Amino acid sequence: MNLELANTLSLWQWLILGLVPPATVALYFLKLKRRPVEVPSTYLWHRSIEDLHVNTLWQRLRNNLLLFLQLAVVALGMLAVLQPGWRTHVSPGKHVIFLIDRSASMQAADVSPSRLEQAKRQALAEVDQMASGEVGMVIAFSDTAEVRQSFTDSRAELRRAIEGIQPSGRSTSVLEALRVASGLANPSTSGDVDVSQPAALYIFSDGNFDPVTGFALGNLDPVYRPVGLPESENVGIVAMNVRRHESRPDELQAFVRLQNFGSRQAQGDLTLEVDGRAVDYTRFAIAPGESHAVVFNLGVLSSGVLHAHAAAGDVFALDDEAWVAINRPRRTRVLLVTPGNPDLQRGLTTSAVQEIAELTLADPASLEDEAFVQKMATGQFDLVIYDRCGPKQMPQANTLFIGRIPPSGGWEQQERQSVPQIIDIDVSHPLMEWLDLGDVDVVEATPLRVPPGGRILVDSNRGPLLAISPREGFEDLVLAFPLLDHSAEKGMIYATNWVVRRSFPLFVFNVVSYLGGRRLSGAGESYLAGQQVTIESPVPGKTLTVQTPSGHEIALPETTGGKFTFQNTDELGVYTVFSGGEVVHRFAVNLFNAAESDTRVKPRIEIGQTTVAGQAAPRTTRRGIWKLLLIGGLAILLLEWYIYNRRVAV
Amino acid sequence: MSTSSRLLSPELLSQLERLELVSRKVFRGRMKGERRSRRKGQSVEFADFRSYVPGDDLRFIDWNTYARLERLFLKLFLEEEDLHFYALVDASPSMDFGQPTKFHFARQLAAALGFIGLVRGDRVRIETLGTPPGRAAPVFRGRTSLWRMLDHLEGLRPQEQVSLAEGAKRFCVRNSGKGIVVLLSDLMDKAGYEGALRYLLAQDFDIYMVHILSAEEIEPDLQGDLRLIDCEDHDVAEITVTAALLQRYQQTLSAFVAKAREFCVRRGIAYFLARNDMPVERVITGYLRERGLVQG
Repeated sequence: MNLELANTLSLWQWLILGLVPPATVALYFLKLKRRPVEVPSTYLWHRSIEDLHVNTLWQRLRNNLLLFLQLAVVALGMLAVLQPGWRTHVSPGKHVIFLIDRSASMQAADVSPSRLEQAKRQALAEVDQMASGEVGMVIAFSDTAEVRQSFTDSRAELRRAIEGIQPSGRSTSVLEALRVASGLANPSTSGDVDVSQPAALYIFSDGNFDPVTGFALGNLDPVYRPVGLPESENVGIVAMNVRRHESRPDELQAFVRLQNFGSRQAQGDLTLEVDGRAVDYTRFAIAPGESHAVVFNLGVLSSGVLHAHAAAGDVFALDDEAWVAINRPRRTRVLLVTPGNPDLQRGLTTSAVQEIAELTLADPASLEDEAFVQKMATGQFDLVIYDRCGPKQMPQANTLFIGRIPPSGGWEQQERQSVPQIIDIDVSHPLMEWLDLGDVDVVEATPLRVPPGGRILVDSNRGPLLAISPREGFEDLVLAFPLLDHSAEKGMIYATNWVVRRSFPLFVFNVVSYLGGRRLSGAGESYLAGQQVTIESPVPGKTLTVQTPSGHEIALPETTGGKFTFQNTDELGVYTVFSGGEVVHRFAVNLFNAAESDTRVKPRIEIGQTTVAGQAAPRTTRRGIWKLLLIGGLAILLLEWYIYNRRVAV
Repeated sequence: MSTSSRLLSPELLSQLERLELVSRKVFRGRMKGERRSRRKGQSVEFADFRSYVPGDDLRFIDWNTYARLERLFLKLFLEEEDLHFYALVDASPSMDFGQPTKFHFARQLAAALGFIGLVRGDRVRIETLGTPPGRAAPVFRGRTSLWRMLDHLEGLRPQEQVSLAEGAKRFCVRNSGKGIVVLLSDLMDKAGYEGALRYLLAQDFDIYMVHILSAEEIEPDLQGDLRLIDCEDHDVAEITVTAALLQRYQQTLSAFVAKAREFCVRRGIAYFLARNDMPVERVITGYLRERGLVQG
């Protein structure tokens, strides 16, 4: 509160007014021309006034209280003419709802120390201005809304609620917060507090959200308090991902896309670190509003944490960094249900396959076992291979059927055909990569009728021999001929020479690699802030602990099926999952939100049909005190009159 | 008795007739008066005996005693003589203040006391301090002199510019005899009153000091910023009347009065503070009677 003066008089009026104090003093001295009174003798009077020394000027002034009082009256009058006053906040109303944006963009440091802190300060200032009897409510919002404090008239509670708001890396959506506010401001749903009166809705935000549609403010009186500078330069990483190299699948490439949200050309350095070690760096120069993509070749990399850091010296640090966690691929769990097939087992136990998969063997008889069926229904395996047998219900896994077709999904077998000739191979499919089936002969086959959406991988002159078809998120691969056949006379006989060909172990590897899910993983895992992350436990039944980027450890509650859901992804950075003290998984949470990276403060926001212009300063009114001054002057005048009379009366 | 005098009312006169002046000292009157003196003398009132010594008047020998005791005794009679009564009035301009004026009050008191003296056959002389040395005021004696005395008093004017000490000195020079002196003054003399009283003391007068102050002096009715002008020497005192100043004035006045009283009492002077608005009869029959100046 600063004292303000409003000059209401012109110069010559001031000059006239300025003459009043000297005139008062002059009148005082004129008044001192004392009234002559003849007395019998001044003898006693002289002796009485000897000590009083009333004749010196200073003594006169000092002793003349009346003069001072008169001058005080004049001074107060002059001050009143100046109309002194203070800018004070307009009382927001009986009910105040504070919406405080804690989305990622509120961490921009264009105002010190950050927009969120600034917003909290402004909100606290409003709380301080609240008169007694006024009730307030605090809602913090990002993409979700959180009622930090319901309606209360306790300023301490409101302060505590506001001070406790922590920043998040989430995006912004004000709609939910508005709905919460509206719901609480609705008399029919409010509790103790009667909020039938209009409630003031203070929105402390940078306005980085889309216009709110489909919402009526009703009796909410919105006040938008923009926090931050309207023009702020920012370059942010809006995307980063890791992919396998197009031509060299063993190698990885990191793609980083930068965007300039400022109004000037931005320059800077982009550094890429792997596990804290800088591996590459590039300079960039981006025109205003443009984006720029950078590709880093990572080479062969099985696991690690990629960290990209753009140094452009802007106000918003959150989007200058991006992480991608590359996890070592989990070994594929393969179940082989077979009455006995040494060649297939040999193919599944090559060193290359063993590296990526672990094999479980089962007897076809176990398909009748209820517990076993239940186990497969919960997704314990990534790939189930049915060798000359089949389940009654399809498992929650990818499947390979050898010499049989799945019981559902529209698969059909044709007539048994002898010696079909392979005439076409779909080499574009990953399963068929590097396969040469020219030297493969098949004794007998039951060519397939592939269901719609299926894809024929190996075709023969008799019909499709190998086909793949999607099923509810899984894929079923069907081989139309068995590898071994059982003959009553000869016992076990080969039904094909493929098992002795070079292409067979390669095919098995492709099957395990592709249907085991290896192809899908391997690229970096990255999530957006606030996104739900599903973590699979490598060892079912064991609890997991997640360490956030800031070092907090969160134990995940156990769930069935070995899948855990993690939701506390407010923080940006790399999250590490521990199981029994060992790192089992890592994932990164990034901003990657162009709306949040666009840190320019919006001058106005739109809520429903209402456009709310930002008010940088608190709503203030001028509280003049000239009336008080005049009343004070009058009081002094009365005091002067009283003193005068009292002196005269004694 | 006429009632035309402004100084003495008939009622007062009738009251005063019963009174007489009393001196605390033994004085020799110049003429026989109606007063019993403490001196033994020729009156009809027996006082004492004493042994005869040659040369005594044979007429006063008590022959009866001689017959019985064969020794000569002389009969002593109380002497009846007159008393010298002086009223010394301060006629300075400062006495011309108050309602009635202090001077009027002084004249009333002088007239009343003078009347008592006249009734008792005393020698009454009323003078002002400023009376020139060579021109003494007339002496009044006997009831018949009342009108002359009152005329004399009426003729006095408070216009004399003479200090207390000078006036007292002149008085002493003119009047060498013993007697009662009643000094009627406000004692407002910047040179002090002590000298005047010392002159009178030196003459061995029986002195009565009647200190007359006006009500305005005792309780000043002043307001505001004033320029006080002394009526005698035109001295100026600028004051701003405040409660503090008035309180201080009261203290000064009390100290002044107390000092005068102490000075008088120490020297055997009967001191009496009078206000100008006091009734004269109350002063005479009350205070002066208590002080022993009058009796009856």
